[in-house]
Amino acid sequence: LKWKLSFQISAALKEGQVSPTELCQRCLSLIKATKFLNAYITVAEETALKQAEESEERYKRGQILGDLDGVPVAIKDNFSTAGIETTCASNMLKGYIPPYNATVVQKLLDQGAVLLGKTNLDEFAMGSGSTDGIFGPVRNPWSYSRQYREKCVQNTQTENEDSNWLITGGSSGGSAAAVSSFTCFTALGSDTGGSTRNPAALCGVVGLKPTYGLISRHGLIPLVNSMDVPGILTRCVDDAAIVLGVLAGHDPKDSTTVQDPFKPFELPSFIDASKLCIGIPKEYHAPGLSSETLALWSKAADLFENAGARVKEVSLPHTQYSIICYHVLCTAEVASNMARFDGLEYGHRSSMDKSTEVMYAATRREGFNDVVRGRILSGNYFLLKQNYENYFIKAQKVRRLIANDFVNVFNGGIDVLLTPTTLRDTIPYVEFIKEDNRTRSAQDDIFTQAANMAGLPAITVPTAVSERGLPIGLQFIGRAFREQQLLTVAKWFEKQVQFPMIQLQGMMDHGHIVSLHQKSASLS
Amino acid sequence: MEQKPLPQKTLTVEVLDHLERLALVDFRTLEGVQRLEKAIQFADQLHAVNTQGVEPMDSVLEDRCLYLREDNITEGNCTEDLLCNARETVEEYFIAPPGNIPLPKLNERDTFLQVSE
Amino acid sequence: MAAYRGSLLARHGRAGGVTGLHAGPSRRRAQAAGPIASGQRAGNSPAGELGVAPWVAVVGLEIHAQISSSSKLFSGSQVHFAAPPNSLVSFFDASLPGTLPVLNRRCVEAAVMTGLALNCSINKKSLFDRKHYFYADLPAGYQITQQRLPVAVNGSLSYSFCVGGKKNQMVTRTVRIKQIQLEQDSGKSLHDDTRSQTLIDLNRAGVGLMEVVMEPDMSSGEEAAAAVRELQLILQTLGSSQAIMAEGQLRVDANVSVHHPGEAYGVRTEVKNINSIRFLARAIDYEIQRQIKELGNGGTIMNETRAFDDKLGCTISMRDKEGKQDYRFMPEPNLPPLILYDTKSLPANVNHRQVVNIDWIRERLPDMPSVRREKLVEQYGILPEHSFTLLNEEGLVKFFENVVRQTQMNPKKVIGWILNEMLHRLNQHSLTIKESPVSSLFLADLLNLLERGTISSSAAKQVLEELWNGEGKTPLQIVKEKKLERIQDQQELEQICQAVMEEHQEEVMEIKKGNRKVLNKLIGLVQRTTGGRADPVVVKQILEKRLS
Repeated sequence: LKWKLSFQISAALKEGQVSPTELCQRCLSLIKATKFLNAYITVAEETALKQAEESEERYKRGQILGDLDGVPVAIKDNFSTAGIETTCASNMLKGYIPPYNATVVQKLLDQGAVLLGKTNLDEFAMGSGSTDGIFGPVRNPWSYSRQYREKCVQNTQTENEDSNWLITGGSSGGSAAAVSSFTCFTALGSDTGGSTRNPAALCGVVGLKPTYGLISRHGLIPLVNSMDVPGILTRCVDDAAIVLGVLAGHDPKDSTTVQDPFKPFELPSFIDASKLCIGIPKEYHAPGLSSETLALWSKAADLFENAGARVKEVSLPHTQYSIICYHVLCTAEVASNMARFDGLEYGHRSSMDKSTEVMYAATRREGFNDVVRGRILSGNYFLLKQNYENYFIKAQKVRRLIANDFVNVFNGGIDVLLTPTTLRDTIPYVEFIKEDNRTRSAQDDIFTQAANMAGLPAITVPTAVSERGLPIGLQFIGRAFREQQLLTVAKWFEKQVQFPMIQLQGMMDHGHIVSLHQKSASLS
Repeated sequence: MEQKPLPQKTLTVEVLDHLERLALVDFRTLEGVQRLEKAIQFADQLHAVNTQGVEPMDSVLEDRCLYLREDNITEGNCTEDLLCNARETVEEYFIAPPGNIPLPKLNERDTFLQVSE
Repeated sequence: MAAYRGSLLARHGRAGGVTGLHAGPSRRRAQAAGPIASGQRAGNSPAGELGVAPWVAVVGLEIHAQISSSSKLFSGSQVHFAAPPNSLVSFFDASLPGTLPVLNRRCVEAAVMTGLALNCSINKKSLFDRKHYFYADLPAGYQITQQRLPVAVNGSLSYSFCVGGKKNQMVTRTVRIKQIQLEQDSGKSLHDDTRSQTLIDLNRAGVGLMEVVMEPDMSSGEEAAAAVRELQLILQTLGSSQAIMAEGQLRVDANVSVHHPGEAYGVRTEVKNINSIRFLARAIDYEIQRQIKELGNGGTIMNETRAFDDKLGCTISMRDKEGKQDYRFMPEPNLPPLILYDTKSLPANVNHRQVVNIDWIRERLPDMPSVRREKLVEQYGILPEHSFTLLNEEGLVKFFENVVRQTQMNPKKVIGWILNEMLHRLNQHSLTIKESPVSSLFLADLLNLLERGTISSSAAKQVLEELWNGEGKTPLQIVKEKKLERIQDQQELEQICQAVMEEHQEEVMEIKKGNRKVLNKLIGLVQRTTGGRADPVVVKQILEKRLS
C-alpha cells in the first residue's frame, strides 16, 4: 500500500502483482484498522468493492480506462458524490445524499478510480485543524509514528498516551491523514486559504493547490467561491502531476474554469535547477515562525543556490494583510453561500413550523456550529449597506494589492517562490484548542492564504522531520497556469531532501494494525 | 476619503437584532456577540492599508470573458431525485410553513439578545 | 467613486421598502416630452379651487419581462408555462450545494436586442450580483441580478395615446429607459391556508427576466398603459419576450407620487400586483386620486407598497415586512464579467459560439412598431390611427398586407373592411386574427368580386357572413349558390323595374308630380326584389327613363 501512484501502482496492477479488488480490500481493512484516526466520515465499502470488481474486469480484458484504473482514492466530504452521503461535517447536511457527482469526482471515476469514502474536515471547511466538525477531530497519523514516539519518550517522563495525539491541520485533515496512513493513494481536498497545503505539510504528504480556474469546482460545496480550488494530496510530486492531469481542464458546468485547453504532462526524470530563479519573500519571516522551520527554509534556498539557481530575496509588501483581507471576503461569501441552507429542499429541517422565517431560523440555529454561525453573522455585518464600502470593497481593493505584489515579483524574473508552508510542525490537540477558530486560522493560513488571493498554484513538499519527530513542509508558489514548471521544481526539491517515510509499523498501540502493515510493507 | 476616521464600533442591540433578522441566525450567547466584535476589530486593521486609486478585485478571472451556454434543454425531469432529499413534501411540491410572517419581535423571540437588552 | 447604490434596486424586492423620493425633475424629460402644464393633463388635476395650485402626478415603471428562451437563464432546465410541479427544475435551480450558474447566450442576446430596440447604450462589460433575502420560493437565499453594471442603460421609448374630449387626437411622448438588467425569476408559492402550509413549485425558479426600469416621466395611468403596450409590442416584435401579461410574462410595478408644479416631487408609493394593461391604467389613476385626496385632507403619503385589487378597483396597503430590508448585494463570484463585442472589438480566432456581437444583432433587428406604422401609412395611405390598430393585434398587419396583395381594391378601402367588418366580428367572438374563420385569401377574393362589380357591397357583407359561418366554400361559390351576383342583363332589369312600377302606382304618381325623393324608395324596392343584386346606378337610370 505504500506504493506511489505513479509507475509503481499502475505497473503492479498491469503486471497483475495485485488485483484491484485485492488492493481495495486491503485499503478497506486498513481504514477499519485506523478508524481511531477519524480520517473518514463515510466508508463506501460496497460501492468501492463493486468499482474494484469492474476495474478487475477491465484489467482482464486489457481495456483499462487510464492510469488510475483500480486505484483507491478518498474524497473530502465537501465534494458532492452521487448516492454517497455528503455532510460537510455539519448537522445541516447529515443524511444528505446528493443526486450528482462533482466534476472532479466524475473525472476520477471515469478513469476507473475506486472511491473508498469521504474524508473528515472542519464543518463546511471552516477551520485549520480538522477539529471543528460534528464527527470529531482527525488524529494525525504521525502521532503514532516511530519517529514521534521515540522523541516523546525522551521528552516527557509521564507520557499520557491519549492526550498527546496531534492534529492534522485543516481543513482537509481527513484527506491528509488518509494519504499519510496509506489507506488510499491519493485524496482530494479543497483549498481556500491553505486547507490542502496546511494538513499536507503537517501530515508529511504532498499538497497541491492548482491555479484558480484550472480545475472545476462544480460539486465542491463552496466556502469562498472566488478562492476555492480542489486540492490534490499525494505521497509524491509525480503522483500530484498525474492526478492533476486527470482533473484539469474546462468544465462547461463551472464558468470560472478557463477555456484554454490543458495538456497533461509528465515530469522529467532529470531536472536542471541551474537556470531557475527562486524568490524568497522577505515578509514571510513572520513572527511565530519556528527556528527549525526557518533553518530548513534557508537550507532549502542553499540547495537551489548550490545547484546553480539564482536565489533572490523579493518583497510582497501586502501579503501581511492577506489574512485580514481574507477574513472579510471569506465571511461575506460564507454569509451568502450559507443562505441556501434553510431546511426546505434538503438537509436538516427544524420541527418548528410557525412560519417560514421561524423554521429557517431554527433550522440554521440547530444545523450550524458556532464557527459557521459566527462567520455568517460577521459576513452579513460586512455586507450591510452602511459597512459595504468600508469593509467589503476595502478588502477587495487590498486583494488587488496582494495579487499585484505577485505580478510584480514574477515580472521581475522570478520563476517560483519558496516559502514555509506553516509556522512550525504540528501540535497536540490539547494545545490547539486553547485558541479559538478564527485566531487559529489566522495563524495557520499565514503563508498559504496569499496564493489563494492571487489565484496562483502552490504546492507543499514534505521536507524534513523536526526535532520532535514531526514533518515540516516547504511551499513553492508558481505563476498562474504554470503548474508544469512549479511541479518540476517541486520534484527536483523532493529528490534532494529525501523525506523519510512515516514509520507506523509496530507503533500503533491499537495492536491489530500491526500485522496488516507488515503485510503491506512486504508488498513495496 | 480613504482614510476617514471610522465611527466608534458599538454594536447596539438594534444592529444585532437587525443582523439576526437578515441572517436568520442568532448570536445564541454573549460569546457570539463578542465573536462579532472581535471579527470587526480584526477587520479594522485593513484601514491601515492605503488603497487610494485601487479598483476592487472581484475575481482573478476578471479579464477572462464569461463562458456562454447554448440555449438547449439538458436538465430537469428529476423531480424524484430532488424531492427525496426534502424532509417534507406533498405530492410533487416542497412544503414550507406559512410565509410572509416576520420573525417575532425581539422580546417575543427566543434569543440571547433580549436578555442582554 | 465606487458604485454601491443599493437604494434604487432595493425597491424591486418583495419587501419593497422604498425610501426616499424620486430624483429631481429632469431637464431631459422636459426636452423629450415637452413642458407639461398640469392643467392640460387629463384626469388628475381638479382645477385649483381657491387659487390652490393643481397637482401633478409622476409615474415611473419597473417592468419584468420573461425572456422567451428554451432553457433557463443559468441552467439547462426547460422554460414552460404549464408543467407538472417541480418537473422543470435542475439541481442548480433547487440550489443543491455545489451547483454553479452557467449563463444562457440566448438570454444575453434577447437583452441586447431589447436594449438596442429601446435606444440604449449596451455595456460591453456587465456584471452579475447577488441580492439576498429569504423567501420560500427563492431556494438559494439570493437572486442573481445585475445591480452594479447592467447589460443596457440610458435608452428611451416613444409611445402614443389619444387625448382630447373625444379621444380623437393622438400625442406622442417619450419616456427615458434607465436600464435593462438580466436576472433570475423566483419559484411559485401556493398558500394553502386551511392546512397552513405553502406548496413550493420551482418550475419558474431561474427563468430569465429582463428588468426594464422606466424613469418617472409619465403622469397618468393612460400614459403608463400606452408606454407598457408599446414596450409589449416591441418585445413581441423582437421575440425577446412573449410578454403575455396574463401568463405573468410581463409584470409591471408602478411608482406613483404627486406634487405641485415647481415643487419637489412627493413621497411615492409602489403599486404592485397589476396583471393587465387595463388594470395598470386604473390602478395608477386610482392611486393618483387617492394621494391627491389624502394630501388635500391634510394627510401624508406613506412610502409603502400597495397592491391593486382588480375586483374593488383600488389599491390596498401591503403589510410591509417589519423593519428595514437590506439586500446585502455582493458580486456573484461564480460568473466572471459578461463581455460583449462589436465588430471593431471582436478578437480574431474566437469561438463564435462564445461571442455576442452587438453590431451583428443590430443589423438583424426587425422594424420596430413605430417604423412599421410609418411605413404602413406611407405605403398604403391609411390613417395613422389605423396603423396603430393594425399593429395592436399580432398578425393583423400580415393579414392586411396579404389581402392588399391579392386584391385590386384600394388599401384605404381594404382597411375599412378589415377594421369594421373583420375586427368587429372577431371582437364579438373573442377571437384573434389567427383564429379567424375567414382567411386573407377568401377576403381578398370577396373584395375582388366587389371591386369588379360582380356583387354589390351589401351582397359582399352577406357573403362575408356566410364565409364566417364557413363551410369552406369560396366567395364565388357562395355568390353562385346564393345567386348574389349583380344582374348584368339590361332586359331583365328593365322587366323587374317595370313590375315594381306596376305594383306601386301611387309612388309612380308622386314622382310624376315632381316628388323626386320617392324615386329612392322605388330604387330600394327594386333592390329588395333583386336581393340587392342590381346596380343602383343602372336601376336609377332605368326608372328615370321610364318615368320621364
